[in-house]
Amino acid sequence: MSARSFTDRDIHLALDGELPEDERAAYQMWLEANPDMKARSLRFAADNAALRNLFAGVLEEPVPVRLEAVVNGEGPRRKQATPWWRMAAAAALLIAGGLGGYLAGMNGIGMGGDSDDRMAQLAIAAHQTFAADKNRPVEVDGSDQAYLTGWLSKRTGLRLVAPDLSNDGFTLLGGRLVPADGSTAALMLYADADGNRISVYVVAEGSERTKGTFTLASGGPEAVYWQDEGYGCAIVGTLPPEQMGTVARNAYKQLIAGAGQART
Amino acid sequence: MARRLRGAGKARSIGVEEDGLRSAVMDEKKAAILQEIPRLRRYARALLRDRDSADDLVQDSLERALLRMDNWRTGESPRRWLFTIMHHLFIDQMRKVSRRGEAAILPLEASEALATPAIQAESVASREIVDALQQISPDRRAALVMVAIEGFSYAEAATMLGVPAGTLMSRIARGREELRGLLDDQARRRAIRIVEK
Repeated sequence: MSARSFTDRDIHLALDGELPEDERAAYQMWLEANPDMKARSLRFAADNAALRNLFAGVLEEPVPVRLEAVVNGEGPRRKQATPWWRMAAAAALLIAGGLGGYLAGMNGIGMGGDSDDRMAQLAIAAHQTFAADKNRPVEVDGSDQAYLTGWLSKRTGLRLVAPDLSNDGFTLLGGRLVPADGSTAALMLYADADGNRISVYVVAEGSERTKGTFTLASGGPEAVYWQDEGYGCAIVGTLPPEQMGTVARNAYKQLIAGAGQART
Repeated sequence: MARRLRGAGKARSIGVEEDGLRSAVMDEKKAAILQEIPRLRRYARALLRDRDSADDLVQDSLERALLRMDNWRTGESPRRWLFTIMHHLFIDQMRKVSRRGEAAILPLEASEALATPAIQAESVASREIVDALQQISPDRRAALVMVAIEGFSYAEAATMLGVPAGTLMSRIARGREELRGLLDDQARRRAIRIVEK
């Protein structure tokens, strides 16, 4: 029985069953005498249990046929560069923020596929890069909107307005230029009183008419996007879906109206 | 070796060259590997979150394992052998991803980590944990998952991850603390929103 003093490191050892048997009683006494440490230990224990529960179901899932086939030597061999890794690489390039980005898959939608998916991915990447930047999210702030939109319009080749989203609680922080596929896109950033940020990404884009929502399979912000009459636009943020929808519709109307292309 | 590689997709091409005894051992080994697939899938899912990506990692690991059956000594736990293979593949790929120019990745705000379901019927709380887990570094995540979810001992995990015990311990401690910090941040943000509503 040692009279050694314990530290928060021992919490991990105890939790993982690595504390020697003969130290456990003393450790328990130490915990009782240190409410902070006890609380910490309980939180970690709860997290551990949550993690285990969360993934326990995977063991019950039927094993995909392709995995058994590999072992039985029946499966068709896959291409050298495996999809998961290419997707993860592409996603990391796009996301450029957050270690979580390492791991992204792409929602089952092929990389570099349809132009609207691609646009949504770029918009999310831009949002994740710049909206997360506390101090310098924009190049030109929103105080002089005429200057901001003039500059962005000129560089993107679009007639742009900065939508007024104050009804949704968002004020314009400003904007910046971001690279798009072979062109230049405008990114306008907004923040609400809670510090939530959303971005409006606009780029001159194709002639298809599409709309939809897009989220990387790894999670992260959602893009509500559309393409119409040479405009591609995505509203990106992490708001609840209904709020995202409201904000996006609001922004859409104003952008289209501003472009002199009001249509329903 | 090149010949083995080409033929590796078919068990029969090996079987033809081996005598009956070896092929029986082979079958036994394959059966043992098959049994480990659920565990491998769980580990991969915790590492990668996305279901298809995780299964791709498992498939890569199984393919590599079958090419290297000789490295697995009879009597040795197939589990540790397979986990080791999978971990190396995981870390290799993570490094390749980061070499592609994204080494200077900034930590995401916890608020950025809304999610698409990786696990069916995810609650907000479980989604937050999955998100937070994905935000900690691959090394720490692997260590934490091996011990906390897969239930390996520190000694086993250290061997499989190929790091000294001290390194493993600090990865687990930091990983767990980081995870809790991320969850606390999310809880705080939620509380602020509720208060302001």
